[in-house]
Amino acid sequence: MNGILIDGLSFALPLFIMAIGGIYCEKSGVTMLAVEGLQGFGAFVGAFAAVLAAGGFSGSSQVPFYIAILCAAVGGGLFALLHALLCLRFQANQVISGVVVNIMAMALTAYLTKLLNRLLFGATSDKFVLTVSYRFTVPGLSRIPLLGAVFTNVYPFEVIIVAVAFVAWFVMYKTRFGMHLRACGDNPHAVDAAGRQVNRIRLAAIVICGALSGLGGICFAYSISANFSASIYVGYGYLAIAALIFGNWRILPTLGACLLFGFARSGGYKLVQVLQMPSSYQDLVMILPYVLTLLLLVFFSKQNGSPRALGEIYDKGAR
Amino acid sequence: MKNKNKIWNAVKIPLLAILCSLVAAGVIIALTGSNPFRAYYALLQGSGLAPKAAYANYKSMLTDLFSYVNYFTPMIFAALAVAVALRAGLFNIGVSGQMLAAGFTATVLVGYSGLGAVAAKPLVILIGMVVGGLAGALVGFLKYRFNINEVVSTIMLNYIFQYVISFLINTYFVDPVSRQSVEVSAASRLTLMDTQAGNLKIDIPLGILVALAAVVLVWILFDKTKLGYELKAVGFSRSAARYAGIRVGRCMVLSMTISGMLAGLAGVTYYLGYMGSIQPKVLLNTGFDAIAVSLLGSNNPFGIIFSTMLISLISKGSTYMRSTAGVDTEIASVITGIILLFSACSAYIRHRLERRRSEKAQTAKEDR
Repeated sequence: MNGILIDGLSFALPLFIMAIGGIYCEKSGVTMLAVEGLQGFGAFVGAFAAVLAAGGFSGSSQVPFYIAILCAAVGGGLFALLHALLCLRFQANQVISGVVVNIMAMALTAYLTKLLNRLLFGATSDKFVLTVSYRFTVPGLSRIPLLGAVFTNVYPFEVIIVAVAFVAWFVMYKTRFGMHLRACGDNPHAVDAAGRQVNRIRLAAIVICGALSGLGGICFAYSISANFSASIYVGYGYLAIAALIFGNWRILPTLGACLLFGFARSGGYKLVQVLQMPSSYQDLVMILPYVLTLLLLVFFSKQNGSPRALGEIYDKGAR
Repeated sequence: MKNKNKIWNAVKIPLLAILCSLVAAGVIIALTGSNPFRAYYALLQGSGLAPKAAYANYKSMLTDLFSYVNYFTPMIFAALAVAVALRAGLFNIGVSGQMLAAGFTATVLVGYSGLGAVAAKPLVILIGMVVGGLAGALVGFLKYRFNINEVVSTIMLNYIFQYVISFLINTYFVDPVSRQSVEVSAASRLTLMDTQAGNLKIDIPLGILVALAAVVLVWILFDKTKLGYELKAVGFSRSAARYAGIRVGRCMVLSMTISGMLAGLAGVTYYLGYMGSIQPKVLLNTGFDAIAVSLLGSNNPFGIIFSTMLISLISKGSTYMRSTAGVDTEIASVITGIILLFSACSAYIRHRLERRRSEKAQTAKEDR
């Protein structure tokens, strides 16, 4: 039981932070399908920084890890400017722009990983090798029955994510900026009338989305794969989008959706282990989160409330 | 004359996008120390559009050309699938999953049966269409009946197909050596592999004939039929279509069904044509690249033929490019990405060009 909670959380939280990024972007009225690409590019920048920095520190130092996290957020944010350029400046179809950003991210990171490995390290490799992040257990708290699992074997990034997620929640619902951002997605003309620049707020939202996605991406790179390679693109970004739509574009219900994904996934793995089924059955239980989502959507999608101006290019002159 | 102008206007901007991206990618290639012209020529050579320096036994430019056609046939179907859905305002990112479902069903039902070629090949195509169509219809139904966003449901279905089929392959149909599904019978293959013709051994893709027929049919559907008109109306504005008395729900289900059928055809031409077996746990990129290909062809069935050929040329030729020009194969997807980047801006560029033209006309009038 503890194992399910521990593994479930370490999967759900990176997913959650990516989904929050998506919420920021979509709440501002810009369709965001590029989470997959943004998390990959962020992870690429973070992993590259970690590999570069690793030389300067001793083997067990945790500094490269934090450098990686920071750089991943910056890298994701910068790459998101591409989406902003296409959607806001060139008024491209936002769905198409998302797909383009995804394809560009996959192509560029694959190409650059090989190129940088060859040029800087003289190696023919298509990945940056990272370590698996260390984990810690909070003494005392971890002994609480059941709930203690939350404090057992915690990745440090989980703490960072919880903190960032709280700030993101606060900014979205308790600040003036958050209110303007949400208004941009529902009634951009009202925001304009109130003297704010719609596209500037949307630009901020897109960059925030990129940064949060990058953060999520590097966390997956440090927990699941322990390296950066093309295997980072297994569709977690799309899963995050599903989570945020499932969570009705609100942060707390989205957390619920992410936890559902996480626990269904770790629970399924555990089930296969406990029943001593052959490992190919793992594939079968892996469909649990997705089937659950579809079933739940059947019941809850009727009052689906996407932002009203989602996907519309803001045209000042339109009425 | 007027018609000619119209075509030129439609083609002008994609061509500009392609030209800009080739220049941009050429600069990247040159910066990494290779000759871009040689690299581009190698792309043509690798796809059988230009002669290579030397050929192995039973090979020639013609064999390369046929294998290139074999390679891009599934992409035509996949891009058509995306285009049909997009025209009706729906976004099918489930093409890869639908391909897999159709390909797997046809593999198991026909590929492993002892049926003769005459019965097997049409049956494979039929099963592909039915299974793909059902998968698409499910998405359309979920959207229409339960208001489930098609982006989410297709993503979920992608995963479900991928894992369930991977489980079934690993449990019942795995080839212990290749770790893929057991290869299908030659009779059921939609590509006649290694067919001796003169002193050559050629892979003859029969699927391309079906693909060209599909292109024409999709064109007829959208430009010549009432249903196509309704689908487009729904795509432009759902509420306007509803006011005009069009049954929007029916249109959405229908367009997803047609889209799924095309995706199913992409699946059978890939898994029972190009490949012959299925790799478990892998979802093809074809379905996602198809979105891009369809976009580059401006969702026009004939445009799609050309954009498919171009994008496939770059990815197919990249292996040969690496061996002769010493450029990483990964640059191929970068070139594709840049092309898409430019073509995503095409609507804006067209808009600006038109505006400048009308401004010019305006000032010319005032001058007089």
